[in-house]
Amino acid sequence: MPVALSKDGPDRLVIEWSDGHRSVYTWRHLRDNCPCAGCREERQKPPDPFRILKPNELVPLAPLRMPPVGRYAYKIVWSDGHDSGIYTLEHLRSLCQCPQCSVRAAYEPET
Amino acid sequence: MQPPGSPPQKIALPNIHNVIAVASGKGGVGKSTVAANLALALARTITPQPSSGKEGIGRVGLLDADIYGPSVPIMMGVRDVVDQRTTPFPLERYGLKLMSMGFLVPPVQAVIWRGPMVHRALVQFLTDINWGPLDYLVIDLPPGTGDAQLTLTQTAPLSGAIIVTTPQDVALIDARKGLEMFRQVRVPVLGIVENMSYFQGEDGTRVHLFGHGGGQKLAAEAGVPFLGEIPIDPRVSECGDQGEPIVHRYPESGVAKAYQALAAMVIEQLRRTDQGPELPEVQL
Repeated sequence: MPVALSKDGPDRLVIEWSDGHRSVYTWRHLRDNCPCAGCREERQKPPDPFRILKPNELVPLAPLRMPPVGRYAYKIVWSDGHDSGIYTLEHLRSLCQCPQCSVRAAYEPET
Repeated sequence: MQPPGSPPQKIALPNIHNVIAVASGKGGVGKSTVAANLALALARTITPQPSSGKEGIGRVGLLDADIYGPSVPIMMGVRDVVDQRTTPFPLERYGLKLMSMGFLVPPVQAVIWRGPMVHRALVQFLTDINWGPLDYLVIDLPPGTGDAQLTLTQTAPLSGAIIVTTPQDVALIDARKGLEMFRQVRVPVLGIVENMSYFQGEDGTRVHLFGHGGGQKLAAEAGVPFLGEIPIDPRVSECGDQGEPIVHRYPESGVAKAYQALAAMVIEQLRRTDQGPELPEVQL
């Protein structure tokens, strides 16, 4: 369970977990791994080198709010209006970018 | 896992001490019957309230969260659409406070709504209805693990969930799914109740028409309490159809006694259950 969540500068989120682990994330990483159906589908498409950016993609992306969802997740409301991703606690933990978790993730076989 | 366009805001229900969801993976296991009779049994169990002078009156609510197929109106003897100008919600029957989509829509009219509308209706039922102070609000969920379940687990302060099953394997498979859903969203499962467990003849012999021990086995497997067995009695459906649940009409019947035992178990489990802390807020 998370015991505290806080912003670390403009680019990072820090979550302190009840088991003592301290997770660090960039907001970009969280957005890139948004679990909503639309973003998941988007990630499965091959990259389009000729994709035209939408106006809201030209301004820097920022999180506006991060309210809890029940007792099992958080949602992030982004500055471009996107808010349909519900990040379960398990998902948040799996996305941790601390050095220890990053090394582990690098050696994990891809599923 | 969320209806679009409806950010889940946690609802505070400070006047309601316990919110209990009655769920099942599968339809047809008697969930609404269990919810209605459990609510009545809880009301009968509550210590007499000095304000009313009557046992438990007005301290238990029953919210029918089955928007597409509401059963509470017929079970509670509300046959017609309710005129809100003359009769305020929640309605009161047999000492329970009631709310259902069936009070607003004629029985022959289908509610053809997508998830966001179901979400909105449920949130309104919880927040816009003056429930007053309640010891227990029993929520009769539709079968499955869909929009109504998600809305309530994401927004309502659920104290716990009860899974209703029947003894057959086909019901147990889906009961497992319901159980798993509550686990995933971290709502405490108070336990499993097995409905239509057995028929008891006049000589006291029990006939297990749909098999035996399924609910107990599932509870043991899942590591949750087994809350009890509710026997089959033809009077249960008769009472439901006539709009007076068996716990109210035949309080001395074996079924009514099983519901009283269930209510006692539920109260005990609520006392024991650690709902865990709320998630911390994030300041951005």
